Amino acid sequence: MAARVLQQCVRSLARPSLRLCSGNLSVRAAVAPVVTIHRPLSFVADTRRTRWLVQSRVSLAGVLCRQYGDLPPLTLETIKDRVMYVLKLYDKINPEKLQTSSHFMKDLGLDSLDQVEIIMAMEDEFGFEIPDAEAEKLMTPEEIVQYIADKKDVYE
Amino acid sequence: MASTATTRAVAGAVKVVKPIFSRDLDEAKRRVRELYRAWYREVPNTVAMFQLDITTRQGRNKVREMFDKNKHVTDPRVIDMLVIKGKMELQETIHIWKQKTHVMRYFHESEEPRAADFMSKFYKGHDP
Repeated sequence: MAARVLQQCVRSLARPSLRLCSGNLSVRAAVAPVVTIHRPLSFVADTRRTRWLVQSRVSLAGVLCRQYGDLPPLTLETIKDRVMYVLKLYDKINPEKLQTSSHFMKDLGLDSLDQVEIIMAMEDEFGFEIPDAEAEKLMTPEEIVQYIADKKDVYE
Repeated sequence: MASTATTRAVAGAVKVVKPIFSRDLDEAKRRVRELYRAWYREVPNTVAMFQLDITTRQGRNKVREMFDKNKHVTDPRVIDMLVIKGKMELQETIHIWKQKTHVMRYFHESEEPRAADFMSKFYKGHDP
């Protein structure tokens, strides 16, 4: 996670248009690895929280570097990565057998209460409530990604 | 909501009864899932408030065990009744009307399991 942001910093440092705030960024880049704290959480991987502590989005317009306190924008790729990461951490799922299209009940042999636990982990990860009427229909990681993308207005 | 009257079907076995909360099995299962969510979220707070000597994981496994004990039930009214009792337990736990001993009672720590085979029952003095 931190490595990706550092890469972004280096790339933006290389761009001549951002010369104005390159000094600022280099200071940030040095601070970032110290600031990311990894707290061992048993089931919920709260990758969102580590991202809060790393620096926020840099304006790509290049004129001013406003550092607003906001998360980086969600894309379908990042949503899928986070969903699969959380699912791999779940101890009742075999990480080798897990794919985006694997059905929780039929392929992975999970219970309906296990599925409730998984949906709750997704709620904790992405920070918004998923009502039970819609949660009971989400049976594969692909469906979860689609649902989150619908709710968060992420499209390609 | 509870609109079905008590009638006896002429054909025989099926009896229409007044529901407690849910009209069919799906609604009852939804209530069960809501209760499970509430308990799942409550366990870490319970462990902190009562200063229990168990981990959150153990607590959550115990919650799952209690839910799995009634997994086989199919009657919506029985499921509703069990959900009501579960909600009562949850309320008592959240408001700390219970005490540490009442919560730890679920774990049967000081009880000996009852003997199952003939010789153990004989030694203890139970009838076979």
